[in-house]
Order: sequence, then structure tokens, then C-alpha cells
Amino acid sequence: MAIANSGRERILERIRKAEVPQNPAIDWAIVSSDQIFEPITDPLQHFLAECEANLTEVKVTRDGKSSQNALAELLSAVPAGTVYVQDDPRLRHLADAFVGREVIWSSAGRAPEDCQATVTLCEALVAQTGSIVSSSRDGGRGGSIIPPTHIVYATSTQIVPDITTALRNAMESDLKNASYFGLITGSSRTADIEKILVQGAHGPRKVAIVLEIQ
Amino acid sequence: MDKRVALFIPCFVDQMQPQVGLDTVKVLRRLSFQVEYPEDQTCCGQPAFNTGQWDSARPCAEHFVNVFKAFSQIVCPSGSCTSMVRTHYPELLKQSVLHEEAVAVGSRTFELSEFLVRVAGVSDVGAEFRHSVTYHPSCHATRELGIYDEPISLLQKVKGLDLRLMPNANECCGFGGMFSTKFGMVSSAMAETKIANIEATQAEYVTAVDPSCLMHLDGVLRFQKHTPKVIHLASILASEASL
Amino acid sequence: MSRLAEEFLVAAAQKSADLTHRATIKRNIDSYDAAVAKGKMRFVDWEAARARAAQVKSEGMHSLGPLLESFEAKIKARGGHVYWAENSEDARQYICDVAKKHDVKTVVKSKSMVTEEIHLSPALEKLGIKVWETDLGELIVQLRNEPPYHIVTPAMHLTREQIRDLFLEKMPSDVQGETHQELVAAARRFLRRAFFSAEMGISGANFLVADAGMVAISTNEGNGRLTTSLPKIHVVVTGIEKVIPRLEDLGVMWPVLATTGTGQPITTYSTLIGGPKTADEVDGPEEFHVVLVDNGRTEVLADKAQQELLRCIRCGACLNQCPVYRQVGGHTYKSTYPGPIGSALMPIFQGQQDYGHLSYACSLCTACNSVCPVKIKLSDHLLENRHKYVAEGNAKTSEKIGFSFFRWMAMNRSRYEFFGWAGRKALRVALGMGVKPEQLGPLAKWTKYRAVPEVPKESFRALWKKENGNGNR
Repeated sequence: MAIANSGRERILERIRKAEVPQNPAIDWAIVSSDQIFEPITDPLQHFLAECEANLTEVKVTRDGKSSQNALAELLSAVPAGTVYVQDDPRLRHLADAFVGREVIWSSAGRAPEDCQATVTLCEALVAQTGSIVSSSRDGGRGGSIIPPTHIVYATSTQIVPDITTALRNAMESDLKNASYFGLITGSSRTADIEKILVQGAHGPRKVAIVLEIQ
Repeated sequence: MDKRVALFIPCFVDQMQPQVGLDTVKVLRRLSFQVEYPEDQTCCGQPAFNTGQWDSARPCAEHFVNVFKAFSQIVCPSGSCTSMVRTHYPELLKQSVLHEEAVAVGSRTFELSEFLVRVAGVSDVGAEFRHSVTYHPSCHATRELGIYDEPISLLQKVKGLDLRLMPNANECCGFGGMFSTKFGMVSSAMAETKIANIEATQAEYVTAVDPSCLMHLDGVLRFQKHTPKVIHLASILASEASL
Repeated sequence: MSRLAEEFLVAAAQKSADLTHRATIKRNIDSYDAAVAKGKMRFVDWEAARARAAQVKSEGMHSLGPLLESFEAKIKARGGHVYWAENSEDARQYICDVAKKHDVKTVVKSKSMVTEEIHLSPALEKLGIKVWETDLGELIVQLRNEPPYHIVTPAMHLTREQIRDLFLEKMPSDVQGETHQELVAAARRFLRRAFFSAEMGISGANFLVADAGMVAISTNEGNGRLTTSLPKIHVVVTGIEKVIPRLEDLGVMWPVLATTGTGQPITTYSTLIGGPKTADEVDGPEEFHVVLVDNGRTEVLADKAQQELLRCIRCGACLNQCPVYRQVGGHTYKSTYPGPIGSALMPIFQGQQDYGHLSYACSLCTACNSVCPVKIKLSDHLLENRHKYVAEGNAKTSEKIGFSFFRWMAMNRSRYEFFGWAGRKALRVALGMGVKPEQLGPLAKWTKYRAVPEVPKESFRALWKKENGNGNR
């Protein structure tokens, strides 16, 4: 239902009338992103180092079997309760890791409020900042924010060097059609009390990645 | 190099801190400069400009340009006044017939330490001052004129001077022109923060290139009965034996 | 002087004398400074980063109209709504209408300065809607019934003990301990109930991406993610100036914002939202609204001298650097936006007459200019505001007369010399007669906090003449 919005034209008219120069009269050279950040020569190593710094636990594995074991190990530290898992063949394939856990697959709906952990895939990994690119297609929006522990199953082929590349890729792929996607870097945190950093605020307190080298 | 300089003595230095002017002359003459003092100069207009009274500031600025346009090198013992001329005259006199002249005069106007180090290429001016001194980098000299190292270079070459750098040096002393009286309590509190940093160095003196900062700090230092004393950079450079 | 200006003077004086406050702020800002210094080292060239960030925002301003239209088209294509609000009332009305239509009882809100600017919460509360601030700092000040102290760290002025006592009063059953960790956990328990029951989530936006048609939101706590994921309706309230041309521009904007905001490489959740949930997604809001707020921004855009103010990305760096802010704190400004950016914008948004004093509450130290990540020359705008303040006739008559007199005097060297001599003479005589500093008329304001200066008998020019005659040597 269209809502009357007469202000729209007036605002646009005022914008049109304003003269805003192309480049303001300030002395600066045109800067490209390459002049700003150090180029990343070994994305995998850089990614692992950044994750260590931002407290994302990474279990490096070499095949499906070891990935399954790593996932099981991570889940053993998760308190009793449901585990919400993205319903995807790649995760169905790791089903042995969920033995003994009550699993709710994403095909059933949103991650439950009281689930203890979620297990999802991701769109990409960013070496520059040790970030996970996650979307509403990876266990919904809730999959990466509702539980106290979020576990991601990813492969080394998903690593891109920097944020700019990740975003360029998003524009060129179907990812831009998801209603939500974003970068997740470490666990939720706050320094709002006396500027003392506390890990774990409203989102997950723990973020872990099972990273399969391929 | 051109050995003639014209003196730009800020109005309040002229009236309230004449020694700073005399010491500036002494230093320049020691370095064999021929010093002229255009006696028609009055005020560069900074107080009016900073207060938003641009209609009062403009005539002062035009007067300044007319007085100094004949001189090839203009030296001033004040960062903020130099900055008024170099940084702000172009904007203030945008519509004036003297606009181009103002820009030109600005490019020939130097704060004392930048003149000595950058233009004259000298950092040892033959001074002696056997005391501990800490340096306050005035806001206009640093952030508007880019004068960071020059005062330090000069101080380091002064015989017997024990130079100490204060923590959080780049924080404003709190003068700010009319701000000092319009918001006196805040201005005083900012001075207190600066004084705490001065005292952390335990230096006998605090120096700067801006006599306005020093006038404000001196006022608060004595009002609150602190020990450190203020001295302008020109006076240190003019010293020839321990005081 | 406006009433607000008078209140400012009183509050500023009070805060400046409060040494506990001074120490608290120093501690917080020292911590921020250390983090930012470390953060800047992640850039090969921080100045290049600033230049690039400034360029991106400038491009956004230059093509503001077409970029906003491109953004709007993409949001609508995904089933979202875009409403252009001319002013506070217009924005409030729209959001209240949406809330009423959906019988909203509870709203969860993540950080948005614009929602404070338009006074949204009181309007919703008038409809009987409970509004919860979910950013921890904002929640704390909401529970204390006071405005935020700082745009990035709203509760910077409070100690852990004060927050503990507050939580024990307002959410006793959720508090299980008093460490920083446990207080955060208490807030988590408390707000979780609101997140999962609220019908509407309201957020701000850090950037509006034109080519992708997405809203970018940078947070750390996760409250922004929950606010924009769980409730049925998500409303974004944003200024029109937040637009940037390309998604990939965030490759620079995200790290720059995080660096000057908190010293981080990037905020934990760098979120992009393009619309309501799609048919194949398992969760997400069913309705998505973006409210584009003008409220004076097009006026700033039209002013050639001040349009660069719209580059601001609300990082808070200028507040942290400002020596005046460090003394008087965020509440003293009594404005949505405190610190240098607030002092620059508020007189333009709300009028020089009522808010012009903020532009004068500044020593022109220009530290703000040097830290602004998008290279706004804030001090120039404060000077321009002062100029406007005077030009619009707000200056005190005594000040006008004083400067007119000074100008008259400064035009003629003999006049200047005479009045200089006369002034000094009068002062020396008065002090010699034992006149107290407080009785010195205009000088009383100086001597209230500073010792009386020594008044020289002779001026420099008199001494020069003596030494050099009328010629030069």
C-alpha cells in the first residue's frame, strides 16, 4: 500500500538545487584502496593470525573425517541443550558429529531462543580481519546471533584477502540478493562499562570455525 | 640571503610584554639581520575575527596588509598572530581589493622559530640559559602552521639548557582568545590540566612560541601559587649568560 | 544570551570544577587514545585512508539525489518501504503510524543518534508503547533517565559501582554478580526478554549503500543484529547524508569508522540489510521500512561554506580529542550532538540564536580537524557560525561597541598608541591605589581565575623609539 509522501519531491528538489562540487577545494590526491592497506601475501596464515587476535577459535582439518571430529570436539564443550544446524548437504554429511545431541535443522524454522549452539556454513572468510561472511541463507539471520556459541564449517578455498574483495564478490554474485549478509569478527562484546572490554554481550560469546584445507 | 626583516609585534606584546619584542630584536641582530619596525602597525584583527566580528576585523587586516606589503620578510614572535595572517587573511579578505596582496604578504610572514630554522637555516643562535625548561607546543603554531620541530631544534642548541618534554603536550592550554573570559572556568580547568603536565617534568620554566598561551598560563600559575615560571622562546634565545 | 547559553555556562563551570569527573574522563579517553594509536598502525598510510574516506563521502554528497533514488529503488524492489521525512515531526508521525497499524506494544531500539534528534521515543511512549534501548550504554542512561553522555560511549561518565547499583534497582532478578562480565550478563538476560517479544525493532544506519541498495550497520554487542532480525517489523531511521556510492567503499569506510570510533580493526558485526525476509529465508522481519530524514540537512547541503559537515560519519573522534569536551563532558551541551561536530551543526540545525553559544565554547585549538577521519575542518565551521551569529544580530551590544571602538582605534597608529598608553596608565594607577581585581570592570573576568599581570610603563614601540630613534638599524 503506497503511503502518501509529498516530502519526497521537496527534499529531492532541495538536493537538486544545492551545488556540491565534484571534488572539494581541498588539496588531496585521488587515493586508491591499494595505498591504504598492506597487501596480503599469504591469506591463510594472515587469516589464522587475525582469528587468534580476535579470539575466534579455528580448528584446521584436512578432510571430512577430521572435520567431523573437530566439530564433535567443539560440541562436547557446549552445555546440554539443542543444537541448531543449517540444513545443507555439507552439514548433513557431518551428521556423526551430532551423535548424542538434540539437533534442530534449519528447515524447521528459526534458531530457537534457548538453543545452546548453532552450526552453519558461511559465504566467505576474510583474511584481512579474520572475519566470517555470513548471510540470511546460512541458518537464517538468527543462526549467527541467537546462541551463546556459533560454529562455522568452512573450507580454505573460501578465504579472500580483504574486505573490498569480499564485497566486490558479493556484488557479482547472488549474495547481494539475500535480505541480510555481513561480516562477523570475533564474538559479541562491549566496553560500555568503564571502557573495560567484556567478551560476550547479546550475541555469541564464542565463535569457532572448522576450517578444512582443500 | 636577504638580511632585512620587518618586525610584526602583536598588539598585546607591544603593550603588555614589550620584553618579548626586545628579545626578538636582540636575537635577530645577533644573527646580523637588519631589523625594521613599521611603526604604523597596530593590530592584525585576530580578536575581532575569532569573535565573529568580521566587519571589525577586515579593516584591521587591510591596514596590516598596507603597512607590511613593502617588506620582503616579516617576522613575528607569535604563532597565533602569524597564523591569522597566513591562514585566515585569505578567507577574511576574500572580497577585498587587497585579497591578492594579502595572500602574498601572508606567504612572507613567519613565526620567529620557523624563520630562524627554515628560512635562515640556523638552529644555534649563540644563546645560553642554564635552567630546566619544558616546551608547550601552541595549537596555532603546530596544527595551523606546521611548526613542530623548529622550536625544539633551537632549544636543544641553547648552552646549558635542560630540555624536558611534557606528557600530553599537544593538548590546548585553554587560552583561546575571548574564550578565556567567556568561558573562564573551563579555560582555567584546561590550564590546570596543562599545569599538571608541566609539573610532571619538574622543570623550572615552561616556554612556547605563543605569548598569549604564556600570558594565560602565567596568570593561572601565579593565581594558584605554582612554582614553574613562564618564559617566551625569544627571551631564552636572547639570553647570553645564566640569569 | 539565550537561556540555553546561560545554562551552558553554569553547567560548564560546575563540571570544570568536578575533579572526579575530570579523572574519570581522562581515564576513559587515555584508554581510547591508546587503542586508536594501535589501530592506526594497521594502515600502511593513515592519511591516505582519511583522504579516501573523505573522497567517498564527498562523492556521496555530490551525487546525493541520484544515489538516494538508486538506493530507494533497490529497497522497494525487495519489498521494503522508503519514506522521506522532511522534519522531526514528519518522521515521528510515519513511524508512529506504522506502530499503530501493527498494534505494536514493545519496541527494541539499537543505537541511532537520529532517533534522539527527532525525539522518537517520547512519541512512541505517548502511544503506550514500551521502548527499550538495547545498546548497553544507552540502556544504562535510559534507566537513569538521563541523556547519553557521548555518541559512541553513552555511559562513559559512570563507574562500575554506579552501574551495579542501578541494575540492582532496575533488574534485581537478573543480577548474579558485580564484575564487569556479570553486569553485562545481567543486561543480556534482561534485554533478551524484550528482543524476543518486541513487535518492532528500530535501528539507525551508519551508511546507505547506493549500488547494492542496502543499509549498513556497525555494532559490537549483537543488539543491533537481534533488533534487526527478531521483531516482525524493522524500521531504519537515518539522515539522508549517510549515503555512499558503492558497496566496496565499505572496504575503507568500515575499518576507518572502527578505528576512530573505538580503535578496532572493524566492529564485530558489520551488517548489511536490503529488505524484509525473502520467501526462502527461515527468519527475519516481514516488513522493512527506511525513513530518510532531512530535518535541516538539505539546508546545510545548500551552504557552500558548510556542506562538508555532512561528511561526518559520527565516529566520536572529535569529541574525544576536544579539550573543552574533556572538561565539561557530554551533558553540558544539552544537544543531541555534543563536542565539536555538535557545536558546528546544532546552531545550523536549530538556529544561531539559541545554540550559537556552542560555537563560542571552543578555544580554536583545531585538534578536532587533525583527527576527523573524513577531513572536516571543524574549527572553520565554528568560526563561520560565530560570524553568522554576529551577522544575525545576536552579539551583545557592549561587545559590538567594544569591537567597533577597537577597530576605530586600530586604524590610526597615533590613536592606538594613545589608548594603549592611557589604558596601561589607568590600570597601573588603579592597582597602585589598591583597586581589587574584581572591581576592574571588563578585566574582572580575566582576574577571576588569573593573577593580575604586571603592567609595563612603556610599550615596545616606545622602547624601540628610544633605542633606535625614528630610523631603523
